[in-house]
Amino acid sequence: MVLKTLEAMGPLHGYGIARRIEQISGDRLSLNYGSIYPALLRLEQERAIVSEWGVSENNRKAKYYRLTAAGRRFLRQETHEWREAASIVARFLAAKESL
Amino acid sequence: MKTVWRFLARLTGLFGKSRRDREMAAEFESHLQMHIDDNIRAGMEPERARREALMKFGGMEAAKESVRETSRMIWLETALQDLRYALRGLRLNPGFATTAILSLALGIGSSVAIYTVADNLLLRPLPYPGASELAMVWEINLRTNYVHNVVSPGNYFDWQQQNTVFENIGGFFDFHVVLGDGRRSEEVDAQAVSSEVLPLLRAQPVRGRVFTYQENAANARLALISYRVWQNWFNGDDGVIGRQVQINSRPFTVIGVLPQDFYFHVREVDIWLTLGLNPSPDLRKKQGRWLFSVARLKPGVSFKQAQAEMTGIGQRLELAYPQFDKNWGINVEPLRDSLVGQVKPSLLALLGAVILLLAVACANVANLLLARYSARRREMAVRGALGAARLRLLRQLLTESLVLGLVGGGLGIALARLAVSGLVALAPKELTRSVQVTFDVRILIIAVILSALTSVVFGLAPALIASRGNLNRALHEESHQGTGAGNRLRSWLVAGEVACSVILLAGAGLLFRTLIALQAVDPGLNSNQVLTFRVTVPSARYGEPQKRVEFFAKATEQLSQLPAVRSASAVSYLPFNGLGAGYGVEIAGRPPARPGEHLVAAIRTVLPDYFRTLGIPLKQGRDFTVADDVIATPYRFIVNETFVQQYLQGEEPLSKQIKAHMEDEDPFGEIIGVVGDVKEGTLDQAPKPTVYYIHSHLTYGQMVFVLRTAQDPLSVAESARRTIKGLDRELPVSDVRAMTTVVRQTFARQEFSAVLLASFSLAALLLAMIGLYGVLAYSVTQRTREIGVRVALGAEPWSIIRMVVVSGAHMVIAGSLAGVAAALALSGLLKSLLYGIGPRDPLTFISSPVVLIVVALVAAYLPARRAARVSPVVALRTE
Repeated sequence: MVLKTLEAMGPLHGYGIARRIEQISGDRLSLNYGSIYPALLRLEQERAIVSEWGVSENNRKAKYYRLTAAGRRFLRQETHEWREAASIVARFLAAKESL
Repeated sequence: MKTVWRFLARLTGLFGKSRRDREMAAEFESHLQMHIDDNIRAGMEPERARREALMKFGGMEAAKESVRETSRMIWLETALQDLRYALRGLRLNPGFATTAILSLALGIGSSVAIYTVADNLLLRPLPYPGASELAMVWEINLRTNYVHNVVSPGNYFDWQQQNTVFENIGGFFDFHVVLGDGRRSEEVDAQAVSSEVLPLLRAQPVRGRVFTYQENAANARLALISYRVWQNWFNGDDGVIGRQVQINSRPFTVIGVLPQDFYFHVREVDIWLTLGLNPSPDLRKKQGRWLFSVARLKPGVSFKQAQAEMTGIGQRLELAYPQFDKNWGINVEPLRDSLVGQVKPSLLALLGAVILLLAVACANVANLLLARYSARRREMAVRGALGAARLRLLRQLLTESLVLGLVGGGLGIALARLAVSGLVALAPKELTRSVQVTFDVRILIIAVILSALTSVVFGLAPALIASRGNLNRALHEESHQGTGAGNRLRSWLVAGEVACSVILLAGAGLLFRTLIALQAVDPGLNSNQVLTFRVTVPSARYGEPQKRVEFFAKATEQLSQLPAVRSASAVSYLPFNGLGAGYGVEIAGRPPARPGEHLVAAIRTVLPDYFRTLGIPLKQGRDFTVADDVIATPYRFIVNETFVQQYLQGEEPLSKQIKAHMEDEDPFGEIIGVVGDVKEGTLDQAPKPTVYYIHSHLTYGQMVFVLRTAQDPLSVAESARRTIKGLDRELPVSDVRAMTTVVRQTFARQEFSAVLLASFSLAALLLAMIGLYGVLAYSVTQRTREIGVRVALGAEPWSIIRMVVVSGAHMVIAGSLAGVAAALALSGLLKSLLYGIGPRDPLTFISSPVVLIVVALVAAYLPARRAARVSPVVALRTE
């Protein structure tokens, strides 16, 4: 989700990412904003994203995260896998209904 | 790939912790500020905006901790923490740490050292490509069942022609030559090889080439030199090919240089010459057996097939040449077995011994650890109560033993390096003569693995016991900290140590009894204060027998006039040096021997006064005199007592006519004297019938001088050397040794093993005693209150002592019995090294446990005495 957000929005800071995820989920997914940071660090360690300090739209210093080429590849792969998994689950659910 | 990056990132995360923490705080702060700004923009009060933002963020500290944990490797940090803790613990307890580390260093050091030697000799591939296809081919003397007899050139050529199993078979022998360049001369080891030998060993010269078939057949004056000679005599000059060297005062042309690490059969050969032997129908008539032969199997041919075919060839030759080959067979042996065959049993025994020593060392450290841990049980229990997981405690304890293991191992490796060079210096020559022993990275890796493994092995059981704590019980146990399991294990460990020590003691005992028996053997001569050295006169300048006779007679005369010299003489081969020319003997008036039943005798050629100089008693008749040492005199012989008994059946020997086949023409000659027997080869073998020639009738160019001296024989060496140089400037004097050294070398194998086993068993004994002392001292401390009560109730000191000693005696006696049983089962391994006693020598098997029990009593007495001195008041107050 973090990667997807970054792909859609371009470089973004932690707060923005958390906000965005909440928005996209239609506020159905309410998360502690703090918990986004370990996830970001993890992705950074995996070289899917890189970070640098920048200035936000309202002139605050913030750390911006940006997707890398590896991150994009990783995202495509993950997306594919998720779709696959979701469609399989969906079929199971459908099969159950038709019984 | 992802995981690798992550690992690296986390690894670097170990450093720059504070900078990262600051950055993280700044990031969180900016996050909050943006959130607050948004909230205010959405119309909240600043205060509420802040609260809302904080709430939405969740626990700030928890998030920080979570990020920190992601950023580095927690396990590594705990490990470092454990390491620091372990080091601190060991520093605080230097006695424990030193004992444990030294035990391990001793155990690991000695095992690595012996393993190094064993690995080099037994396991490592020989330095020839395809070495597993290489074989030595020997003749078998079927009458004496000697399977490593050198080969008759006549037979060798027939093998070469008739076999279909060898890709190639070559002949060679080792000898010495005098290398010179007109200015200096040096005696060096040399090897004469047929043209097949170097190619079948796949030797690649670094310069030039090897001998061709034609060059060998023509016995061309060509030489290959060693890398050492190339460097020392030619300064590594690339133009060495085609240059001349003087070998035995004859010019030879250098055609090649062999690589630095090349050796075969003898390690320090510097010169290779052609064998120059050609097939000829009368080889069996003119020559005996003297050639070594090496072969390479054809691909796909097994040793069994090769042996089968060669046995067949041997049988055909036996029929074809009954005079010469009756009762002779052929033995095809893998090269390695030939090179290390004799040392294998002693090496395996030593390897077993060091494993036992290592086991004792491990048991000892486990024992120390158990004692240490049971003293810390309360600490463990408290930490457990405070929430430390058992695995965490276990890991901490294991870290400590790993530290011990690695420090001990490191020290052990240093020890092993020293020990290996010591071993090689101390080792019998035959052990290191033909195979190189090196200490390399492979050994180092094995040593590190060994120390890590041992530390886990000895650390795991104590750690398991220590960390298994019933919290409640541990906290309640006041003075009874030790658990039953811990104490039982410690007793077992001590019993095990005792058993291993008994095995080692028994082995050392057997070898020492052998040594004593060997030293008690009468060698048949008096080796004290005798100097020996070898001089070879080159046949180029001393081709005429008369010249050789003159040189040696003159040299002997001059040597005997040196101030500290009582008498001087010379002999072709010293007794015990392993070489002995054996040839056929005929006795006048007897029918010729049936094929294969020749009378065989060792033949030596001597100068006058040889027997007096070496202290060999003259039993009958007279010695050779200077008047005999003239070529024109009639042949006369001196024989030994065994010759008289075996071949003359006790008939009057003097003036009997005999003939000993040495050269083309051997006239009969009269026996003029009988001398006492001297052992041949090694001391544990029976003397052989021997015939002595006077030098003028068997004019060897290579003789060993023997000088009986009035003082330390080696102190005469320099003046003797000057005397020889005075006669002929170019003659090198080599192998300068005291005769006692020569005799001692015959039991070097036993001495070597005995000294090593003795030091191992002493070390094991010491360790076992430390273990026993530790267990008893600990139990005395534990039982201080009980003992105090006993004393208060009127127990005599000696009964307290007895109580403690008896509690130790259980372990010692059980261990000794097990040890004796195991030693009896294992002692067969030493059989080939023993002399004068059987592998189940009762004296050894009674005395070794006795020695151990006596020492154990001393070890047990010390804590017992302390127990007996316990004052009841103090004891009861310790609670």
